[in-house]
Amino acid sequence: MPVAPHYDVAHATAAIIAILALLSGLSLLLVKQVHEQVRVYAVQSVFAAGYTLLVGIDRVDAALIVLAVWTALIKVIVIPVSIDRAVTRQVSEHEVPLVVQVPMSLLIGVTLAGLAYWSGSALPIHGALLPMPALGMPLSLVLVGFFFMITRQNVISQIVGLLTLENGVFLATVAIAPGLPFAIGFLLLLDLLPAVVFYGVFARLIAARAKTTNIEDMAVLRG
Amino acid sequence: MAVWLLIMLALPLAAAAAGVVLGDRPAMGWLSVASAVASFAAALVVVFGYDAVRGRHALGSVFFLDGLSGVFLIAVAFVYAVVAVYSAGYLLPGIGHIRLRRWYWPLLNLFGLALLVTPVMANLGVLWVAVELTTVVSALLVTSEGSDESLEAGWKYIVIGSAGLAVGLLGIVLIYAAGVPSLGDHYTPTYTTLVHAGPHLNGTLVRTGFAFVLVGFGTKVGLVPMHAWLPDAHSEGPSPISAMLSGALLAAALYAVLRFGAIAQVAVGPSYVHVLLLVFGALSLVVAALFTLRQTNYKRLLAYSSIEHMGIVSLGIGIGGPIAAYGAFFHVLVHAAAKTLAFFGAGEVLSRYETRDAEEVRGVIRVAPFAGVMVLLGALAITGVPPFGIFRSELLIVTGGFSQSRYALAGLLIVFANVAFVGVYQVFHRMVLSPGEATAGDRTHVGRPEQPLMAVAMVISLIVVLVLGLWIPSPLNRLLHGAATVIGGRL
Repeated sequence: MPVAPHYDVAHATAAIIAILALLSGLSLLLVKQVHEQVRVYAVQSVFAAGYTLLVGIDRVDAALIVLAVWTALIKVIVIPVSIDRAVTRQVSEHEVPLVVQVPMSLLIGVTLAGLAYWSGSALPIHGALLPMPALGMPLSLVLVGFFFMITRQNVISQIVGLLTLENGVFLATVAIAPGLPFAIGFLLLLDLLPAVVFYGVFARLIAARAKTTNIEDMAVLRG
Repeated sequence: MAVWLLIMLALPLAAAAAGVVLGDRPAMGWLSVASAVASFAAALVVVFGYDAVRGRHALGSVFFLDGLSGVFLIAVAFVYAVVAVYSAGYLLPGIGHIRLRRWYWPLLNLFGLALLVTPVMANLGVLWVAVELTTVVSALLVTSEGSDESLEAGWKYIVIGSAGLAVGLLGIVLIYAAGVPSLGDHYTPTYTTLVHAGPHLNGTLVRTGFAFVLVGFGTKVGLVPMHAWLPDAHSEGPSPISAMLSGALLAAALYAVLRFGAIAQVAVGPSYVHVLLLVFGALSLVVAALFTLRQTNYKRLLAYSSIEHMGIVSLGIGIGGPIAAYGAFFHVLVHAAAKTLAFFGAGEVLSRYETRDAEEVRGVIRVAPFAGVMVLLGALAITGVPPFGIFRSELLIVTGGFSQSRYALAGLLIVFANVAFVGVYQVFHRMVLSPGEATAGDRTHVGRPEQPLMAVAMVISLIVVLVLGLWIPSPLNRLLHGAATVIGGRL
């Protein structure tokens, strides 16, 4: 007689966080306003920090708990606030031109998530607290982040897409390699900060020239 | 060895810090030149003075050097040194058109530091951080001419490069996870740890992880089809930065791919790694060679040539066997020297004619004979004409292909290396030797006297690519054999 898998509060909470993180990724595809996209990213990062905290508590791993707090500080507060202050207040136009419209974007996003779960199931790996396939949700965020970057012609949107992709990689790290030395996790987050600062510098330069952060006209270089 | 490694890394760091204070004062140029040249000397001592071929850790297990890291360390240290010399001349008034002068030296030295760190770090996570740092720093350098085009190129570069590296990081995580069953939850992901555990690593995760690493870091290498950023960044950045990107950055990213390839080779056998490298290498060679036929922007042309050469190196490793691998690693070194020469020559032309359009540049040999000769020799060197080093390395790879009975791949290399020769040489031939008046630039700039530092940098690159075509010193020969042993096979 098959034995039912054991699920406790931690597993159930992790599953809920995974679903919410995936939904936050997909909901990015629904919003056209730059400010709202940055806020959705902040919410998504709450789930990333929450999942890290949960795994840290479950494994009684102080390093993961510190990483969760650090993640919350950097990704939920510092990065969204600095992006918001650096660029979005400089420009009057905040609606992002879309290469693919919202309904089709959502359809493609859901398909990509399905693809991620399907390909994740081919990998023989258990995730910390997550239901199988462990890599389904992180890979979904990676693919949705890519798709978002490609189809939103705005520098801030592209930064948000990149950060979503990075959140997917971060969640994959916590899910399948929670023992990856704390120093590396810390370094990666630390590395994200100057990167975001440099993205900000670029975005400001572009905004200062064109008075918009939209980049649909930025296609001089070809061939 | 640790002391020399620390000196090698401390010098560019100190120069970058000094640059923040001194800005673009002339003293800063000399300081950077001294720092970069001394770093190169320290790299030579580290690689050849301590028998790095045998594979050695230093400073506990912070640093690791073997034949593979030795080859790439020499290449990036050399490029950093000659680029610093060239830049000291290029930044003088009336020569290079750089607006972001205040931050040029700090960023260049930080770029040099990140490139030097990459091949010597034992921890593969830190290796990723170093490569990511190169993106952040070099993207700003790409925009330092301040034009709209350079801004667009820099933006494309940082977004595509960062996205690629995020994928590469996912690959590292998967390879780390492959070691958890045998090494435990908490282990430090160094190369030696993973290679020793190689046969016990989870094969499916290693295969998937290496594929992600190849696509992720391959984006920085400029392998087709992840190359979209490269022609823009190389063509719109200042010429010394283009040389640094082409000769050193692509090599450093390729080093990361090969380091993980060496791990995957132990875990799942060499054929999987070879096939992936062959596919991306052959695709890059063919596509880039064809694109050279339709370029009129001479810097963009050199950028496609860089993609072609990274394809050749990948193809050389992918063919398998010691001869092709030896040739591929030798190609990394001679490409570094030849491409710096070619981009330095392109910088000479750009500073005189103030256009990137080859159709507007004619008769360089008449108005600036030294520059004209250097530009032409750079084009010949980069297209693999004998007796330059690239001819020798390509011949080795072709020989390796025949020795492994990979006749089609050897044939592919012969055909498309020649296509690239036609594409690159015809443009530079017209620019330098064709009669006719230039339609761009004013006569003052076109006929300006040679800048000694820029000339010295070009002559050094020329001597290196020429001498290596005729003679490989025995310590270098041993180093190349050592690199081929890490990923390729023993002779």
